[in-house]
Amino acid sequence: MTFAIVFGTALALLQNGLMVGAILLSLGLIGILSRRNLIVMFLSAELMLQGISVSLVAWSRYHGDFGGHVLVVFVLSVAACEAAIALVFVLQAFTRTGRLDSTAWQTLREATIDRSIDHEIPSLNASLPNFPRLTPAGRSPTPDDQAATQRDHI
Amino acid sequence: MIPWNTLFPEIANFDFITSGILLAIAVTCLAVSLYLLLPKSGRDSKTAQRLGWLLGLIALGLFIVTGQRLGNIGEEAVFLMVSLVAVVSAAATITCRSPVYAAIWFALCLAGVSGVLLVLGAQFLGVATIVVYAGAILVMFLFVLMLAQPAGLTTSDRITNEPMLSTVAGAVLLGLLSLSIGRLSAEEPLCCRPPSKAAALGGTAVNQRPNESIDLLASDQVARLGGELFGHHLIAVEAVGILLLVALIGSIAILSNGLEGSQTEASSLQEESQT
Repeated sequence: MTFAIVFGTALALLQNGLMVGAILLSLGLIGILSRRNLIVMFLSAELMLQGISVSLVAWSRYHGDFGGHVLVVFVLSVAACEAAIALVFVLQAFTRTGRLDSTAWQTLREATIDRSIDHEIPSLNASLPNFPRLTPAGRSPTPDDQAATQRDHI
Repeated sequence: MIPWNTLFPEIANFDFITSGILLAIAVTCLAVSLYLLLPKSGRDSKTAQRLGWLLGLIALGLFIVTGQRLGNIGEEAVFLMVSLVAVVSAAATITCRSPVYAAIWFALCLAGVSGVLLVLGAQFLGVATIVVYAGAILVMFLFVLMLAQPAGLTTSDRITNEPMLSTVAGAVLLGLLSLSIGRLSAEEPLCCRPPSKAAALGGTAVNQRPNESIDLLASDQVARLGGELFGHHLIAVEAVGILLLVALIGSIAILSNGLEGSQTEASSLQEESQT
């Protein structure tokens, strides 16, 4: 019942693979429930599909047949279809509202649910990353008068 | 407290430790020698360069020595590393404030996942994950992001819907899944054992697996996967092809319909204003 990282047996490899798949699945679930950017929501959905793929391949390795591999091929192609349709919907939503925010569509909520209002938004400075600045390389070039005059004749 | 070598019997193996230490020494030697050989401002002496070349030669020798022992490290250490990469970058994907950074973390997560698939013996799928996801889908997402949010962070990226409830839901799901994974045992339970053909036909109960085990790590694995796909699952492959075509036509139809809809809305508004 207790789970420990044990190596060496086929069952342990199956358990480790299933564990990675479960972690990816639950991380994707958290992402799709909580994030508000439409693109990040779809990335989370793809994360859940990745977790499922890892679990299927682990089962396939354990049983020694190609069933899981075949299912993952189908998962890949369905994910490609899903991404195409989803991007079209995201683009349509963006052209209508001008935002990639899923809360922009909260008029579609049920009548019993309250309107979601952002009470306190964290300041922008806290979340902006520190971009690295390039150090100046070499000396600044001096203008070459001769080359400039030659260029006019061409 | 449990002694560590009962928990990790593979690591307690002597060959494993020696080859791992030798590999670590080789990598460190290579790094130090490259550092000594690289051009630096300040002290750049001949002796440091000679020391660098010497260390580089030692590193190469150690690599040659460890190369014969690397088989002992095995797939477990590789599995641990790639799964760590996948999980950490997946966590970074959903927590990163900037959606562009989230997409790039997702690409790293895909690299980790394809490593896991390779360790688990799915060569074709590991490569296809990189090609299809990181090469096509992720780049499309990045295109849309660049198109839609050129200014960068919006307020909605800095705040989440119900973070407490969603993390509790995810944690409960993960706990339940890991409980059931930990309960797995090598014996198949009676309820889930597939009935063999002989037992189904009324003969004696023979508890055998219906399919004989195939060596998934054989060199012709990709060819056999193709044979399986186009042999047993041919109709499903055709159906997936139709699905892809329908998705293509559907996305074009939705996009052009939306444009026409907005144009007709605008023209009807103009007609109303004229009348």
